[in-house]
Amino acid sequence: MSWLSRLNPRGPGSRSNRSAAPSSPCTADPETCLMVFENHWRQVSWVLEQRDTSSFSDDLTAVRNNTDQMLCLLAEERPAESADSGSCGAPIGPILELVITENILERLVQWHVRRGLDPDSQGALLKLFEMLIGQSQQPLLQHTAVLHPLLRLLGACADPELGCPPALENSLVLLLNQVCVSMARQPVVLEMLFHAAPAQQGSTNLLIFSLLVPFIHRDGAIGQQARDALLLVMAASASHEAVARYIAENSYFCPVLATGLSALYSSLPRKIEVRGDDWHALRREDWMGVSSLVLFMNSLEFCNAVVQVVHPVVRSQLLDYLHNGFLVPVMGPALHKSSVDEMIASTAYLDLFLRSITETSLLRTFLRFILLHCHDNDTILDTLLTRISSNSRLCMVSLSLFRTLLSLNCEDVMLQLILRFLLPCTHVMLSQRRAIRETDMYGKSANKFLSLIPECCRLNAAASAERDEDNPFWSKVFETFIVIKTIEKSVNISTPPRHSTPSRLSFFMRQQSGGGGSGGGGTSTSTNVDLLQSGPSGSHPLSPDSPKHQTHTEAFDWDAGYLEYLKDARRDIELCSWACRDWSAPYDGENPSPNTSPPPPAPPSSNPSVTLFPEHFSFQREGNSNTPPNQQREEAAASLSSEQQEEEEEQRSSALDQKLTDVRGDGSVMGVCSPARPLNQPASQPYTGPFMVVLFAKLENMLQNSLYVNILLTGIVAQLACYPQPLLRSFLLNTNMVFQPSVKSLIQVLGSVKNRIEAFAASHEDFPSMLRKAQQYLVARGKLDWADSPAAVPPLRRSDSLIKSRKPSLGDLILRHTNSPTRARHAAQLAFAHVRDGGQSLHSALFRGGSAGTSSLEKQAEALRVKNAVYSAVIFCEFLKELAALAQEHAVTLPFPQNQEAEE
Amino acid sequence: STFLYSENLGSFSPFPPDEEQGGHADQKTSPARTSHKKHLPPIPKNAVPITKPASVGTPSHLANGTHASYGPFYLEYSLMAEFTLVIKQKLPGIYVQPSYKSALMWFGVIFIRHGLYQDGVFKFTVYIPDNYPDGECPKLVFDTPVFHPLVDPVSGELDVKRAFTKWRRNHNHIWQVLMYARTVFYKINTAEPLNPEAAVLYEKDGQLFKSKVVDGVKLCNSHLFDQPKVDDPFAISFSPWNPAVHDEAKERMFTFKRRPEEHHKGAQVSGLSWVKPGSTQPFSKVDSPQS
Repeated sequence: MSWLSRLNPRGPGSRSNRSAAPSSPCTADPETCLMVFENHWRQVSWVLEQRDTSSFSDDLTAVRNNTDQMLCLLAEERPAESADSGSCGAPIGPILELVITENILERLVQWHVRRGLDPDSQGALLKLFEMLIGQSQQPLLQHTAVLHPLLRLLGACADPELGCPPALENSLVLLLNQVCVSMARQPVVLEMLFHAAPAQQGSTNLLIFSLLVPFIHRDGAIGQQARDALLLVMAASASHEAVARYIAENSYFCPVLATGLSALYSSLPRKIEVRGDDWHALRREDWMGVSSLVLFMNSLEFCNAVVQVVHPVVRSQLLDYLHNGFLVPVMGPALHKSSVDEMIASTAYLDLFLRSITETSLLRTFLRFILLHCHDNDTILDTLLTRISSNSRLCMVSLSLFRTLLSLNCEDVMLQLILRFLLPCTHVMLSQRRAIRETDMYGKSANKFLSLIPECCRLNAAASAERDEDNPFWSKVFETFIVIKTIEKSVNISTPPRHSTPSRLSFFMRQQSGGGGSGGGGTSTSTNVDLLQSGPSGSHPLSPDSPKHQTHTEAFDWDAGYLEYLKDARRDIELCSWACRDWSAPYDGENPSPNTSPPPPAPPSSNPSVTLFPEHFSFQREGNSNTPPNQQREEAAASLSSEQQEEEEEQRSSALDQKLTDVRGDGSVMGVCSPARPLNQPASQPYTGPFMVVLFAKLENMLQNSLYVNILLTGIVAQLACYPQPLLRSFLLNTNMVFQPSVKSLIQVLGSVKNRIEAFAASHEDFPSMLRKAQQYLVARGKLDWADSPAAVPPLRRSDSLIKSRKPSLGDLILRHTNSPTRARHAAQLAFAHVRDGGQSLHSALFRGGSAGTSSLEKQAEALRVKNAVYSAVIFCEFLKELAALAQEHAVTLPFPQNQEAEE
Repeated sequence: STFLYSENLGSFSPFPPDEEQGGHADQKTSPARTSHKKHLPPIPKNAVPITKPASVGTPSHLANGTHASYGPFYLEYSLMAEFTLVIKQKLPGIYVQPSYKSALMWFGVIFIRHGLYQDGVFKFTVYIPDNYPDGECPKLVFDTPVFHPLVDPVSGELDVKRAFTKWRRNHNHIWQVLMYARTVFYKINTAEPLNPEAAVLYEKDGQLFKSKVVDGVKLCNSHLFDQPKVDDPFAISFSPWNPAVHDEAKERMFTFKRRPEEHHKGAQVSGLSWVKPGSTQPFSKVDSPQS
């Protein structure tokens, strides 16, 4: 209801001061007022009586002056006091009584209309009525003596010949707005408006409504007033079936609203001009400066508000129009544009829309479109999925969109994305199906994840001396990550994601403020210095087999940062399972039954041209082909960290690399397609769906991804790992589970990344120092950005004043098409300077070894490669802790019962 | 110290956690009660003493640095997981609560509702080996030795080992021990008894056995309101029903709704689902007017 409460109409209170002035002498005594009124009326009626005399301007002036006075008196008049006040029919004041008995207003308006309504008088009348209705101390519109002349006047505005001159639009909308406000206060007025249309204007019996509709998509205050007013009509319609039917059947409201969105969408920038390699989603401050986007968002917000308040009849019509008039014909093609820039823009827009919608049924319309609508034989979802495997920006924007989708905790989304592929349980060895529901009782999986922290990332004792110098930074490093996670989650899940547009970058910015207060807190600062170092040692002594071996100090060092991950994991899992408590099934491997669930779609391997990411897991080492797959798997699982396994992983991943670059298809590559699963039977091959495949492929490639891709990517996998459904939980977090050979597990992917990091570290002597610098950079960048903009977390609900008062943020500059190109350019320079002085320069200083001196492309590419690899090592270690924490917390989380209470 | 439990005419009314964040609070997931106690409140495992808000084993607790006495990290989580399983099992008439001081010691009470031991209210303590889950099976010791063939008449220890000759991780869980402790009172086994006298009597003189059991139950119940033997804020203790204290507590227990700890204002109240139960198709639910 925020919309409605926001409409703070200019009620009697707000303007009484101003209007008190002209009629001040009369406020004192009702009888005097009546006399003065009668006096004015005498003069006016004398003029009105002059039937056929020419319209001398003197007459007009006289009538106007007197009318002004009269209507002021009428507006000022208080209802008569009576003994039974309030009980039945509010007693009316003497002036109003006179107005009614003499039918004064009707005669006035008729006189005006008869003599030909010039724009000047029309405007004056509109203003007078607006004043009257807005300020009257007593309800007026329920009297036909007021309502009918009003409708006559409005009828004139709707008249095709006379119409409403543009100059008067403001007055007209303001008047309509006032009428709607009083209608909302006195529902009886709606009834009267609806039934008691004046005879002349019978064609559209909800005149007010049809006058407002053209202003729905208007820019600025007039549009806002029109939307506010319409929304009041909509809210009123909720309890008036007849009005609702009228809106749905006799008005163009819904089509205008929906197709208007289409029109507005088409004027959005096709390309989002981006600076900063971290940008991946439109935040409010990004789009506030882009007028076309503001316009669109206003209309979308209006749709959302209408859906919220309107009668179901109108709602379902509106949703249909939105689907068929906006999403399918406009959004669909926009998402399928061939230029990458346009893909980025449309994906970012869709993400923004999803985050902005709050109404469930509107969200349903959007989700339905994404999940089920086919454009050129592909669902929108499939199209979006393929983009994850693309490069950098498009990938990030797509990941951001999926993060939004996941944060909805929507069963339908999860079903389409992942669960339907896991339902048949064919990805698991038959003997393992029972294990689907098991949780990590003894920390085995957690231990497994932690054991993958590469040796080279566990700083050895030798480095500790050096580290002490860096203490101020060090003490923050892990808080940073913890806080990243904390903030990410709090932004994404515990508050509706749609109200905010979190960017992972801003997590760095916010870490300082967050870390002090809630997150890391004081407890951990002293100890997380040692985190990296003690992490490794932790994994051995902490193994459940020998808990006693561990000293408390060790445990404490190791715990300190990890505890924050545990805390986060607990909260996120709780929130997620709370949100999923009304899902239709537990997805535990038994319900829905694996046998009855329809076979999921086959992997798209048979059509290489469509496949951006070939099936990379369908091959085995040939040497092993004699071994039963099951046994082979168990061996593999048992010896994941063994050297042999590393080799295998290397082989696999290099094969994968080759395969990924091979566009011709599967058959020829390495000749390793599983012979047991010929390509002509793709359905029989366990397949965990394109989403998991593309995420894992991207994850396996962590070293080549940019820092921001990795942050988003690991964030999404962690988000998935919060889901309590055993099918998903076991697939991601149960490291002991044995999958079918064609199914790659998360732990395998991570193992492969670990090996790559270690290989990289081995080939770079200065890896430890680079690693430390990378950590320092992240922290420093956080500090810098934080110092720069303390209000880094803008309130996201309408707070335009705040937005205005802010200096141009980086985000403001992202989009072209702003109102003032000069200002935008200026701001862009500022931002560039900011980036250069701050993060970037610091960053390049840290990595000077790679990029200094020569500007040869190769050197730059190499520097980038090194940079990405080092950052990915930092992220990787944190990610492992996060996963371990999630595995542990799942074991101690209780489910929420279904439907335990009515919604708030 | 504060006593959290009271027993009144068979209605067991533990004091609910003073605040929701009693760790893995589960005051409400255990409505499954057997027939003759419709209004039995949920299992009170995580009742929290008012003086000490953080309950055993929550990370926040650990973060305070007080985890030291609870031993190593995974062990504690394993025990929390065990405890979670106990809650999920909703064992009839059995209530447990880990000690404040050690996660390896759990206090419990068992209500016997019919059979020979009917009306028995037996307090007990579970001792978990510190190399859990790789050690022996946990011990279960009754505070007052119950007259029973499988209960040591001196120490009060129940012969758990016979049921768990080898404690196997992943297969054996603490809830099974608790379940076993319940079963022995309904299905009496006299083979290789710890209390031969009881065993012999049971076999030879049912009447005498029965009267001894009744005496034992009476004795046990007469000590119900005694102070707990162990000085531990989480020890289970009983007090006579005091409406001033317990009525409100009971009310709170019945109305308690568990919510995520950080479930606040803007949070997605419920996740979305338009999947018809039994279907695996998205948007298969008939479009009911939502919102």
